[in-house]
Amino acid sequence: MTLAAIYSWHFQAVWNNLPFLLLGVKTTLLVTALSLVFGLAVGLVAALLRLAPWRAANLLAAFYIDLFRSTPLLAQLVWAFFALPILTGHSLPPLAAGTGVLSLYVGAYLAEIYRAGILSVSAGQRHAALAIGMTGAQVMRRIILPQAVVRMLPPMASTLISLVKDSSLVSIISVAELMFNAQSLSAVTLRPVEVLTAVGGLYFFLTYPFSLIAAFLHRRYLAV
Amino acid sequence: MRYQWHFQVILDNLPVLIAGIQLTVAVSALSMAIAIVAGMAVALARLSSHRALRWAAYAYTEFFRDTPLLMQVIWVFYALPLLTGINLSRFAAGTLAVSSNLTAFLAEIYRAGITSVSRGQEEAALAIGMRRSQVYRRIILPQAVTRVIPPLGSMWVSLFKDTSILSVIAVAELMYKARLVAVDTFRPLEIYTAVAVIYYLLAYPQSLGVNYLYGRFRVRE
Repeated sequence: MTLAAIYSWHFQAVWNNLPFLLLGVKTTLLVTALSLVFGLAVGLVAALLRLAPWRAANLLAAFYIDLFRSTPLLAQLVWAFFALPILTGHSLPPLAAGTGVLSLYVGAYLAEIYRAGILSVSAGQRHAALAIGMTGAQVMRRIILPQAVVRMLPPMASTLISLVKDSSLVSIISVAELMFNAQSLSAVTLRPVEVLTAVGGLYFFLTYPFSLIAAFLHRRYLAV
Repeated sequence: MRYQWHFQVILDNLPVLIAGIQLTVAVSALSMAIAIVAGMAVALARLSSHRALRWAAYAYTEFFRDTPLLMQVIWVFYALPLLTGINLSRFAAGTLAVSSNLTAFLAEIYRAGITSVSRGQEEAALAIGMRRSQVYRRIILPQAVTRVIPPLGSMWVSLFKDTSILSVIAVAELMYKARLVAVDTFRPLEIYTAVAVIYYLLAYPQSLGVNYLYGRFRVRE
């Protein structure tokens, strides 16, 4: 037999274990949400340091951003989980290592989004605002940020979609999120076709609404 | 705690890691070549006047863009053979998964490039008597191509890093080789650090190149 032309699907295996997969969804959402919150904070600090009138801070922030954007997330996760403990003598729990790395990873991308957003507001506006007597903080708050935030939203929505998908990589360091539970379940039930297909559907269900939102934001705020 | 670094293992195993780099480059280049062509087909289907074709292309791009590459790789390697009876080698399965994923992203880039050329130009070209194929060839595509090149560069850099995911199905690219060497030598710290440095040294200049492309092909209207 070379061609199994008709495969008989047995979704019962998925159906019976749906709570187990949904537990994975919960962890996926937890990891994503935590990484997003930390990433937004880390990214903002990195972006401000990158734009600060202080050369050492610029270089440090640029190094952080380029390092995390130029190496694979998988390599970062493996390094933090398998190599870092040797250096420090303390091993991290998978969830902490996974969330930590994912936060730093997404933070580097978000930093560039913040920076691009801030720089997209023309220097002329800043000069004009300073000329009419506003302080630096006022210029940032009243002139630059209101315009910059709106331009940051579309790429941030795209980043969020990537983050949900990228969180699947923490399965490699045995964080029991959706992808990890999917692999356990397909090994136990011997039904990889059904389990993996169903999990594809679950991921799609998680990200597609964001994809629609991102498309809307792009049209709304970035259309020329 | 003082750790006794032992960098010799990196040098001793450099040939293995270099073999891994070669495969990383090979998988990336092959997937890019496939996706550059297939992505154009999907983009044209997405823009065609044929309703069913348009929806099929939309479903394809959304599905591949909205699910994790890791899941797609594992699906192609473990589920596809059961479904079709066709057994793919690790390399073939990996390349198929990665290039299918990339095709969806490139299709969207092409589509954005094509639709970014203003409608007014298209109408003007039609008005002076050009045929639709002429409008495409002479007016739209030349402008679309220059707009598409920088994002294609970005995709290449992402692809180069993403191929590390193929280590999960034991495609012997850099990340997989690193794991073998780390287990073999009991020196994960040195090896994984070296691998991170290797990726950085390879990918960072590429991203500088992409930045140059963005500057070079900036659209002025």
